[in-house]
Amino acid sequence: MHKEESQNDLGIIRIHKNVIASVTAIAATEIDGVKRVGTDFKSGLMELVGKKSYSSIKVEFDKNEDVKVSVPLIIKYGFNIPDIANRVQENVRAALEKMTNLSIKEINVNVRGVERGQI
Amino acid sequence: MRFFSVLGIIFYTVIFILIGLILIVIALNIVMPQDITAILTYVQSGINPRITTGLIGLLLILLSFSFAQLILGRFQREKTIAFTTASGEVTIALSAIEDLIRRLAWSLPEVKELRPDVIATKKGIIADLRVILKSEASIPDLTARLQDITRAKIQEVLGVEEQIIIKIHVAKIVSTDDKKKKDTEKEGPAIPFGGYGRIGS
Repeated sequence: MHKEESQNDLGIIRIHKNVIASVTAIAATEIDGVKRVGTDFKSGLMELVGKKSYSSIKVEFDKNEDVKVSVPLIIKYGFNIPDIANRVQENVRAALEKMTNLSIKEINVNVRGVERGQI
Repeated sequence: MRFFSVLGIIFYTVIFILIGLILIVIALNIVMPQDITAILTYVQSGINPRITTGLIGLLLILLSFSFAQLILGRFQREKTIAFTTASGEVTIALSAIEDLIRRLAWSLPEVKELRPDVIATKKGIIADLRVILKSEASIPDLTARLQDITRAKIQEVLGVEEQIIIKIHVAKIVSTDDKKKKDTEKEGPAIPFGGYGRIGS
């Protein structure tokens, strides 16, 4: 898996894609109205075998080392989806910039479902 | 993308035609079992025919996987509503809107069951609702109310200004009395030999 790396006087600092995915997941679920991060087939399979990962969050680096994040979400019923998506994008951007100093190019939100259950 | 779709269709057509031809040829006794044995013996005779056969098999499997991925990926992409914000793209799965409508129907007691099917077209969002109603419901009133509520909720939640068309298909009307009867029958279980009384006492 590709890692974002930067160098200082003492050596190289590498940030794994999983770290960016974890930060994204935590920042996204902090927003009121977000139920959880959605899962895809691969991450569902990983969870079944007991490995909790955020592989459903896609992290890509382009040639200019800009980061592109795609996050699938399950939204709680009754919330305005574009509003939630905007707030998630802003919170994820702020969290990633604060924690990793990376340049964030795109944060793509993919709303996969609305929470089921009692109203 | 269109090129790959055409290529995929041609690929599968050729494969199926070949399978069909082989089966016909076997059925018409044009190819005898000995011929098939001879071909299989040749394939397994040396290292070169074996490698060639293996590579062809591998190529066919890879081709099938890539075509399946292309087709499925395209279907997945089409099943979303997308808009762009300053930070990136937001896509909303149509299944999420279907979840929303399903939840919405729970607030209407006259609706027994609702199965939504949402599609996004150039005209706008089309929601096809297949409903099962309870017998006491006034259909024109209820369907009009359901259309209004659904349209308003989609507009409110998605914040889109596209046209929203709500189609309702009443698939069935169930009687609430039937259900009550069934429930009462279930409540009183039949006692074995309960119908027999004592004689001569």
